[in-house]
Amino acid sequence: MNDIAALAGDALGLMTPILFAALGGLLSELSGMLNIALEGLIGVGAFGAAVAAIRTGSLAAGVMVGAATGAVVAWGFGAATIRLRANGFVTGLAVNLLAAGITVSVSARLFHTKGVIKVAAGALPVLPLDAAGQPSLLGRIFLGHDALAYASWLAVPLVWLLVARTPFGMRLRAAGSNPRALVTLGKKPERYKLVAIILSGLACGLAGASLSLGLGAYVPNATAGRGWIALVAVYLGGRNPAGVLAASFVFALASSLANYAQGFLTVPADFILALPYIITLAALVFAAVAKKLKATR
Amino acid sequence: MNETRRTELKGRALSLGLALGGAFAVTVILLWLLSSSFSDAFRLFFAAPFSNAYYLGNMLAEVGILVLAGLGAGVAFGSRNFNLGGEGQVYLGAVVTAAICLALPSGNPVLVPLLAAVSSVLAGAFLGWLSGQLRLSLGVDELISSFLVSAAVVYFCDFIVTGPLQDASSNFQATGLIPEAFRFARIMPPSSLSMAVVPVIAILVLMAILLARTRFGFELSLMGKNAEFARYVGIDQGFYRTAPMAISGALYGLAGSFLVLGSYYRVMKGFSAGIGWTGIAVALVAGNAPLAVFPAALLFGYLDAGAKAVMVGADVTQEIVSVVQAAVFLFITARFADRFLAGRKEKR
Repeated sequence: MNDIAALAGDALGLMTPILFAALGGLLSELSGMLNIALEGLIGVGAFGAAVAAIRTGSLAAGVMVGAATGAVVAWGFGAATIRLRANGFVTGLAVNLLAAGITVSVSARLFHTKGVIKVAAGALPVLPLDAAGQPSLLGRIFLGHDALAYASWLAVPLVWLLVARTPFGMRLRAAGSNPRALVTLGKKPERYKLVAIILSGLACGLAGASLSLGLGAYVPNATAGRGWIALVAVYLGGRNPAGVLAASFVFALASSLANYAQGFLTVPADFILALPYIITLAALVFAAVAKKLKATR
Repeated sequence: MNETRRTELKGRALSLGLALGGAFAVTVILLWLLSSSFSDAFRLFFAAPFSNAYYLGNMLAEVGILVLAGLGAGVAFGSRNFNLGGEGQVYLGAVVTAAICLALPSGNPVLVPLLAAVSSVLAGAFLGWLSGQLRLSLGVDELISSFLVSAAVVYFCDFIVTGPLQDASSNFQATGLIPEAFRFARIMPPSSLSMAVVPVIAILVLMAILLARTRFGFELSLMGKNAEFARYVGIDQGFYRTAPMAISGALYGLAGSFLVLGSYYRVMKGFSAGIGWTGIAVALVAGNAPLAVFPAALLFGYLDAGAKAVMVGADVTQEIVSVVQAAVFLFITARFADRFLAGRKEKR
């Protein structure tokens, strides 16, 4: 029982960056833009957050700058894609390449290393396991996480409210599903697409901040495919926030199982690193097969 | 030549010019921002690749690899299939070639490298085909599946290189050297330019003929331009989902094989990183025209060589190339040109 609780608790911790990025990807997807730049946006967010936390000594400033970095890069990405009618697939790849190159180059210039940079202010504080009295099974699952983790859970109903219950959200969805209707109303679909992209950048920035500040250090390539996993979570989640939460949790649980297995199995580390991609692909294929079976019945 | 075609060409030339100008501008800005001595960095970046035979030969060897990668990316794009798996396909191709050459050290000096190259081609083709087939039979987006497969394959290759094939006598994370008899002869020693360029040129010409002069090439480009119309005229959709992906993977796999047989003679952990993405950049600049792949590969080979020189000689990291590539991606696809030309027409 304790093991299962520990596993679930770890999964919730690992879920934060995936969930944030997937919620961002969801907004972009609903507005009709496939955002394959999630990976790169998380990368710049993680780096921006670490640099700000190191320079100011404040973790809160780190979180804000991380989110802002993601949003600003996403704004450039969105503007280039929409205003200049560029191919969103190619510009998305451009953002991923840019993130990989610029973080290393700037890191080499500012910190004279391409490697790990420690944040002197440490890692984001976590809620202690005995915060609600005696340590318990439920506590082991739901306590012991940092503020960004709880914020990511809170973001799920907020995103749902935004897209399902506000006029803005309805227009955002219309920009994706029925842009002509928006034009008839005298609204510009492009504007809603751009805002959706910027919001997805903001969410990815938070995802990045949770990676680097959660650890108390910037690790190059710490993103490690989470952006792509998040993209798949958007699809598997049926393009709604609750589904995205469920899909993100499944992927996080898989990672935490992999970490756990590493403790007693002698599996090469490279296989563990490959696992998120394999599980994501397997989930994608599995969902496609299920859909096909349903359709033929 | 009719009006639309002329406008299209004009637009293409303009966006190509902007991409090249943009790449140059971004490089200069990055060198200025990131180096402590701008003039040294500038000189190294732009002049070093031509400064001696060693640099020049290495650059040309890299260009040969990029021609294969660019053709690989292009054959998929041209038919509106997206192969984002180049990274894994190149790496796997390299590992397969190294494994075969190391397993048969006393084999026939012609047959073993040939077997190795063919196996690499098949390995790459299989990875590409897999994503095409997943799209065809299950509707799984090949763009995402090819990336995911490739990312997993990269770690698998890392494991092979640092595990079973690790050279015990080396301090590097690398395989042993393949026997000398299996290697392509060097053309400009000590640079890595080798006779591998001969098959590369042959493949470039063959691909140009295949795409421009055969029924296959015609149907392929028809699929790329208008899949709906292609279906209407009875072109086999399934074949053009899987074949271009398989050919794309095959060319990437061969690029990996030639990295081993022609340039490095061994696989080092992660040594092919970036070639898959650069292949896409090459194909985008070349606009899927096979013969334009050569100048495009030359451009990116040059940028890469400049970046390597600057990393050795000045305090700027090689990774600025990714940023320059990103700029090219952006400029090449942005429709400044259309907008500009359309804007002019509206004014009239």
